[in-house]
Amino acid sequence: MSKEKKVIIIPCSGVGKSFGTVSRMAAYQVTEDDRPATTQLVPLALLVLGDEEARETVENNPVVVIDGCQLACAKKMVLESGGTVSKEMAVLDFYRQNRELKPQGISQLNEGGKKLASVIAAAVDLVVDELTEEGGKNG
Amino acid sequence: MADRLQKKVGIVTCSGEELAEGTVSRLAALKVLEKLRPDDTVTICLPLFLAGGEGDRAFAKFYPTITIDGCDKRCAYRGTQKYSNTPAASIVITDLAAEQALGEIEGKSDLNAAGLTAVDLAAEQAAGQVDELLGKHWSRREGAFTQTNPKDEDSHEVTATCSCGSGIPVQLFEIDGRKFEIVALPLLFKTFSGQRKAPSDDTLKEIIAEVRIYNVIEPENETALIDKIDQAYQDYWKDNESKHEQN
Amino acid sequence: MTEYLETQVDKFTFKVEKDRFYTTFGVWALLYGGTARIGLSDYLQQTSGDIAFADIQPAGTVLGTGEACASIETIKVDLEILSPLAGKILRVNPSLEMTPEVINEDPYGQGWLCEIEPSDWENDLANLLAPEAYFEIMKNQAEEELKKK
Repeated sequence: MSKEKKVIIIPCSGVGKSFGTVSRMAAYQVTEDDRPATTQLVPLALLVLGDEEARETVENNPVVVIDGCQLACAKKMVLESGGTVSKEMAVLDFYRQNRELKPQGISQLNEGGKKLASVIAAAVDLVVDELTEEGGKNG
Repeated sequence: MADRLQKKVGIVTCSGEELAEGTVSRLAALKVLEKLRPDDTVTICLPLFLAGGEGDRAFAKFYPTITIDGCDKRCAYRGTQKYSNTPAASIVITDLAAEQALGEIEGKSDLNAAGLTAVDLAAEQAAGQVDELLGKHWSRREGAFTQTNPKDEDSHEVTATCSCGSGIPVQLFEIDGRKFEIVALPLLFKTFSGQRKAPSDDTLKEIIAEVRIYNVIEPENETALIDKIDQAYQDYWKDNESKHEQN
Repeated sequence: MTEYLETQVDKFTFKVEKDRFYTTFGVWALLYGGTARIGLSDYLQQTSGDIAFADIQPAGTVLGTGEACASIETIKVDLEILSPLAGKILRVNPSLEMTPEVINEDPYGQGWLCEIEPSDWENDLANLLAPEAYFEIMKNQAEEELKKK
């Protein structure tokens, strides 16, 4: 990956269920704490509404989506906007593997939800590292 | 007629992740939905609104909608206007913060004091707008207020819910192998039936006028669709005949 | 798969398979040979939401009619599933451990919960609903839910 390229992280941020908040929290952890140099957050709505900068960013960089539920809005909209999804993360899949971390609350996430977000963030970090390494090899 | 369908206000937030103001917009919307006006409001995830089908996008055709945006890109406002209907009211957090001299809002995942104040102010403003909208007559056709009507006192006590579970009914018809989705038709039938408007040419005209508020009917399908709607209402009336007799 | 009854409430379509019997809650039972398979109706799975976990009582468990045979956790609710018939669980759907979402995807087919050897099918059948009867009840339930919104 060239120096300018980053891995784009797009959460669904749905407001209907706690899983949407988990997706958002995971995205923040990756882009602000874990991998700030190699990632960038692009808001989904900007992308869909045709913001030029958002579209170019998505077209020219690998994208990781974090979807809260099976409706998979983030994945759907990235594809419809002409982007490619390098990796799709589903909060529900992570919850299935971490049953003790049941998320609750939408505006205020419980401890289980915060920990689940961290688990997802850690997985996204690994994907980011792979994608940036691959990009580095490919130039 | 539209009054009886208009019992709630839709709240759409941008939830933008790039700015702390996006977090403010999300939390303000949730405060209105969960605490301040839970019985009077409903929301839809902006992603679902943008990515969803006609039933999801009919959201703002059906409910007068307040959008809460983090910044002047106004994604929630533009998205609602583009895909559904002009919002009845709008709040932009950056504008609100400037007007109230709140200072820099920071902390996308953990808001600072200015951000938390902005949440409260935006939520209060939105709650006031909800009260106003429920006291006014919002014309979906015109996307504007037309006249003042008394607030409907006969409201059911329900908890605000996300519209991906949806309060917007649709009815499907099949014509020549093609499927047509008519938004709000089941509720229109219920309303007309509740007003004891038996099937007739006049009733059909009124129903179709209401249908056109929520749906586009293309000329080439018009006759067939109207026939289907006519038959469907006759069936509905017959199925509910016992209720009419009791009343 | 045989025919089904279908209705639309709100923006959702709900189907009821005509070849099986139902409880008012929405659990179905399908007898073939001497074994009954049970599962969730389309309405029940749709209204419950995406399934996160499905815990079924193990094979060998002997149940009375109306005893809990499964716990289902969705992203919205926790459901206790009561057996529509008495008997012994012979087999649990092996897919449910890794892919419980199959209940959402194919509630009348691949999303079955378990197979039971009935101990008194005729008696239990008398207390179950024919598909047409369940269809009417299900429509009323759906319309009541809509009124709440």
